[in-house]
Amino acid sequence: MISKFQVAYKNLLRKKIRSLLTLIGIALSAWVLVSLLGFNHGFETALNRDIDNMGFQLMLMAKGCPYEAATMMLKGGTGLKYLPESMEDAVKKEPDVERITPMLMQAVFDPNKGESGGIAAYLGVDPQSYSAMKTFLKFRQGGWFTQSDVYEAVMGYEAAELEQREVGDVILIPEKNVELKVVGILNRTGTQDDGTIFVPLRTLQKVFGKTDKLTTIGIKVKKEKDSSIIETKLYDLPDVQVVSMAQVKQTIMSLVSTAKVLVLSIAIIAMIIAMVGVINTILMSVHERFQEIGIMKTIGAMPSDIFKLIWIETILLCATGGVLGIALSMALSRVTELIIRNVLPYSPKGGLVLIDLHLILFTLCAILAIGLLSGLYPAWQAGRIRPLEAIRSGVNE
Amino acid sequence: MRQGKLFFFAAIAAFLFIMSLGSGPAWSAVGCDLNEPERDVKRLFPASTGYKTVSLEIQKVGGQNLLTKIQTRLQDKLHGLYEMIDEPYTIYIIYAGKKKIGYIHGVNQKGRYGGIQIFLALDLDERIKAFYIQKMSGEYAGKFRDAEFAKQFVGLTIGDFEQYDVITGQGTGKVLEVKNPAPEAAQDFKHILRGTKKNLILVNEFVKMAPVLSPKKGAAAK
Repeated sequence: MISKFQVAYKNLLRKKIRSLLTLIGIALSAWVLVSLLGFNHGFETALNRDIDNMGFQLMLMAKGCPYEAATMMLKGGTGLKYLPESMEDAVKKEPDVERITPMLMQAVFDPNKGESGGIAAYLGVDPQSYSAMKTFLKFRQGGWFTQSDVYEAVMGYEAAELEQREVGDVILIPEKNVELKVVGILNRTGTQDDGTIFVPLRTLQKVFGKTDKLTTIGIKVKKEKDSSIIETKLYDLPDVQVVSMAQVKQTIMSLVSTAKVLVLSIAIIAMIIAMVGVINTILMSVHERFQEIGIMKTIGAMPSDIFKLIWIETILLCATGGVLGIALSMALSRVTELIIRNVLPYSPKGGLVLIDLHLILFTLCAILAIGLLSGLYPAWQAGRIRPLEAIRSGVNE
Repeated sequence: MRQGKLFFFAAIAAFLFIMSLGSGPAWSAVGCDLNEPERDVKRLFPASTGYKTVSLEIQKVGGQNLLTKIQTRLQDKLHGLYEMIDEPYTIYIIYAGKKKIGYIHGVNQKGRYGGIQIFLALDLDERIKAFYIQKMSGEYAGKFRDAEFAKQFVGLTIGDFEQYDVITGQGTGKVLEVKNPAPEAAQDFKHILRGTKKNLILVNEFVKMAPVLSPKKGAAAK
């Protein structure tokens, strides 16, 4: 005996183009929903990873525009003002500070990068304290410089690849015409470190005439201590701005949330349009089969049977569309990511759209719930068709 | 009817499979692309009206045999961390209307102070129409990026480089007529000539082996 599912499936196949278009509508809205929620999850994860990989929870910099500076640091740019090196000792005195690392970011214009030149940036670090804070950095070749005043450099993977450098090669700081010997090339990390050229702190200070100057001090707080308390204490130091990584994250997330609200609105509108499309398709199908439903009732079909039949059609449409949309979003996640990267002013490295089983199940349930809701009215309409009236309508025609 | 349905589902499956291939990890060897292709293509190939890009790897086009052939012709090994068999090479196929008129291809070449990106605009006979160093590091980089230096390469073909030894800088052929604008940077001059020869060999081999580059075949530009 033919089941209700088979009847529903055959009914959908009667008007192939209409069913297909409705299916596409549902698939597209599922695609938007999965991509948006995947982005929501992925962006936050990637941002957390980027921030954790900095190795410190607080950054101390000169009073100015800390958020801009922090964002620029994340992107590999330069800070805006300088701190005196003596500030290091003042920070070290704080009992809750586990360790600190001083940094100096400098950039020069390189006229021989591209048609109209480009920026070459260097990060001056203290080899001992920096490597202790970033223990996850592993070397593809060589290792850290042994002292903080030698003319050597360690290159992030992408920086080395672009410059075709290997350990033993030299690089030249444009404008300054200072040679640095490459002593280490880092493994790829998927973070801002990949594009960074690390130079010993003292060397960079000397080359750029910034003796005793720093752009940032990275601060790692003791595990059991509250970083916000130390943050407050550090504000007692003169002319400094403390930026906690939690703040940076919050600021970036709030910038992104505006875009997210906009896209979420579009997703909701897309879902509503898809829902209306489903109602329209099923309702039209019910009207077209007015007589047929009447005949089914005369040969014994109960209103509940008709209701179920129409409801199953809706669920079939929505389930297929939902699965197709999820598959699309997974297949095109890289494309979505590329688009997002082009639109956002800052995006962390690594995957921005994270689609996991939890998200897939949630979307599928949401689409099915929408399907069940959309099918209610057409199914109810079909269920209350009067058999004689339906058959007579055909005679009158 | 059943066949039609099968075809439909097979097409969807194939599409999703192809798209998911493109969705893999973004980490791969770095290629050598024009920074601003719209502007650069027009500048290097003034007669062009459009272009399309093709990405090729020695590994995929001809594997180990092709690598050996390239190294034999170059008279040097492709070595180091970055001259890998799976390095992607982007070739810009240049069109005037619907007619294919040439190629632009760039290579990364190790220089004294950093990577040198050497681009060649070639006609369909693989003759150099324009020479462009997109990026170079060093005190004398400006001299090598100068238009006067670039002009010396116009008209040269792979034939002019075949007898040139990229290691010693000796040999025969028109390439020896190219003057070094910065004798202080003799090493970088040799690197540039090696990069140019490598570029010409790669294009020559890719054109022979990749049908999409054939001077006669291929779809029109976008």
